[in-house]
Amino acid sequence: MCSGRIDPQFILKAFQSGADGVLILGCHPGDCHYKEGNYKALRRFYLLRKLISQFGIEEERLKLDWVSASEADKFVRTINDMVETVKALGPLKRIPAHTSTEKGTGDLQEIKIG
Amino acid sequence: MSGRIGVYICSCGTNISDNLNIDGLAEFSAGLDNVSYVKVHKLLCSEEGKNFLSDDVLKESPDRIVIASCSPREHEKTFRNTLQKIRFNPYLFQMVNIREQVAWPTPDKSEAAEKAKAYLRAAVKRVAFQEPLEKKEIDCNTDVLIIGAGPAGMEAALLLAKAGRKVYLVEKNSFIGGRVARYEDVFPKMECATCMLEPMMDEVMHHENIELLTCSDVQDVIGFLGNFVVKIRKRAAYVSKDKCLGCGACYEPCPVTVKNELDYNLSNRKAIYIPYTGALPNVPVIDEAHCLRFSSKDLDICREAFELGLITKEEYEMFRKKDCTACKEACPFEAINYDEREEILERKAGGIIVATGFELFDPSAVPKLGYGKIPEVYTSLEFERILSQTGPTGGNLLMKNSKGPESVAIIHCVGSRDKKYYDYCSGICCLYALKFAHMVGKKLPSANVYEIYADWCVPGKDNQAFLDSVKQGENIQFIRTPLPVDVELNQDADRIKLSCIDVSTGKRELIVDMVILCPAMVPAKNSRMISEILSISNSKEGFFAEGHTKLAPVSTNIEGIFIAGCAQGPKDIQNTIAQGAASAGQILSALVPGRRLELEVTTAEIDKDACSGCMICISLCPYKAITLDRENKVAVINEVLCKGCGTCVAACPSGAATSKHFTEQQIFAEIEEVLK
Repeated sequence: MCSGRIDPQFILKAFQSGADGVLILGCHPGDCHYKEGNYKALRRFYLLRKLISQFGIEEERLKLDWVSASEADKFVRTINDMVETVKALGPLKRIPAHTSTEKGTGDLQEIKIG
Repeated sequence: MSGRIGVYICSCGTNISDNLNIDGLAEFSAGLDNVSYVKVHKLLCSEEGKNFLSDDVLKESPDRIVIASCSPREHEKTFRNTLQKIRFNPYLFQMVNIREQVAWPTPDKSEAAEKAKAYLRAAVKRVAFQEPLEKKEIDCNTDVLIIGAGPAGMEAALLLAKAGRKVYLVEKNSFIGGRVARYEDVFPKMECATCMLEPMMDEVMHHENIELLTCSDVQDVIGFLGNFVVKIRKRAAYVSKDKCLGCGACYEPCPVTVKNELDYNLSNRKAIYIPYTGALPNVPVIDEAHCLRFSSKDLDICREAFELGLITKEEYEMFRKKDCTACKEACPFEAINYDEREEILERKAGGIIVATGFELFDPSAVPKLGYGKIPEVYTSLEFERILSQTGPTGGNLLMKNSKGPESVAIIHCVGSRDKKYYDYCSGICCLYALKFAHMVGKKLPSANVYEIYADWCVPGKDNQAFLDSVKQGENIQFIRTPLPVDVELNQDADRIKLSCIDVSTGKRELIVDMVILCPAMVPAKNSRMISEILSISNSKEGFFAEGHTKLAPVSTNIEGIFIAGCAQGPKDIQNTIAQGAASAGQILSALVPGRRLELEVTTAEIDKDACSGCMICISLCPYKAITLDRENKVAVINEVLCKGCGTCVAACPSGAATSKHFTEQQIFAEIEEVLK
């Protein structure tokens, strides 16, 4: 499987299930085992980042980076950076289903996934 | 949904158990839904461990298996093979990495325990949704497509043909031998290039296993190792290879005269022509862009020829009519056929070698050098033609005014080893610059030669001796300058004034008659297009990228596609031939007659009832594996071409596309359980 398989729904599902941040790591551009799946992932990532901010999820909670199998240092650094970012943001605020539905605003619990 | 899941936990000696309470994890796993038993082993990947796994699975007969151990990169294949042997479908097994992802990076034992639990929960939930999948095999084609008939392509073609492989050798020009066939002598032993290549070219043209397709280019390629389908566009040449003897009777009467771009515009040619004397195959072609029959705008050229006195008024009047048949009438063998049309050929091949060569950096990008403005400033390839007996001066070293130069300057590193242009060293320029000095000395012993260089790059067992011997020459001066591209050239009456910094004496000026630039070797113009057609990667310089600098120098990111010669990066003829041979060897090893190829198991599928035929997936598929069934207006996936990347699945707006072994249900189950 490839980063090109990452359906934006997977990310939303993760946020819905309790993730405070989601990090997508793919092969470097030009190095994709499946030719160009990482470019597709990048396009979807940009669109999705715009979408999550409309749901009240800070854009920083979703990150995409390229790490190859030989870049152990970069892998560690990228993960640590992401952990730092998410810690600084604190837990993702999830609005209880009933209150937000009454107000008619967007609600994570109500988003139909799949 | 399955109800009997067997869980095996490996402690990897003490690698995992040192930091993870295995018994606690086992107890936790036993309490998960659908888990019918949990077993712990010390080293499941050992012979003893694999035997235990086989025997135990046969005894317990679970319908799904989860193994918690190391990274799937390490042993997923091992366990899949073990299970396959006892006819347990390997796709009903899921692996959990509690070593690299838990025991090793998580020092806190309670954190490690929680993490391991989450991963096991996810795997147990996921494995329940997994389906048995069957491996498929297909026959592989062992024929080979080679793009480019220069030294690398020819070497590969001959080796493969001699091994009994059918080779399709596609060459964009009408002749083979690449650039080397147009050189006079080659360093370091000053061998005659044509004499060296001729036997090889002859063999390539006549080998029964080689189909030589000149005037052709590759238009489209689909498929993968063992199963490529290639579309080749063969342009009309209008001269039959079978009938033409190469007598040359046709070009004399042709009324059109244009610059010969294959002689780097140093000579003229007709609209029906052989690019240079000795070009093989020795069959002329008609240049559609200039032939009067095919292009009316070139009446101007005809008029120019008349005005220059090259043709008489009567001839001009006759040729002014578009139905010029001068060449056909002159041909004694009826080899010319104006009705020939471009053809699109289809060939099937198991492997592909790309040997499309190089070009030179265009020095007119450096205005100070005056290239294109000062007539006696040449590039190295142009100078090769001036030296060549088949070139515009018949091998006499002459300037455009037909006089021999009294002094010649050779400027190294034009555009190479320079961050402004190309930061790499082309690796051959020092040596051919020495060759030029040697040849100038041979042809005009009294001429002075100036080598304007920054550093010497002459590696290899023969080359230092070559440098030393050229240095003995009496009329050669070596001027070391920090950056040769900073040399300034100006026309000075009918000579050239050269200003540069000499590292030993400071500013220096010379008056010379002729200047030869040694520009960086750069990727061939069509290399971007070829990488798009073949989906192979380029290096940052634009050459085709090798699989690994040291270990896989002729491989690419696509299995079954290899690169050779200067298409991979600048190199000399020796290394070009070596790469041609290497790529042939790779193909002989990868494609063995009679051996079958295993297909990807985890491909994508389309649910016909849910597909609306929107075709989004078709445009995204990097393997051209999806087509539209026009009758039913649904997308159809070719299982042979699909590699299972899942790009189409992620994009399908109606959820009609699914990935085998990576379904939405399976992935959602994992996400939910990990985050529980």
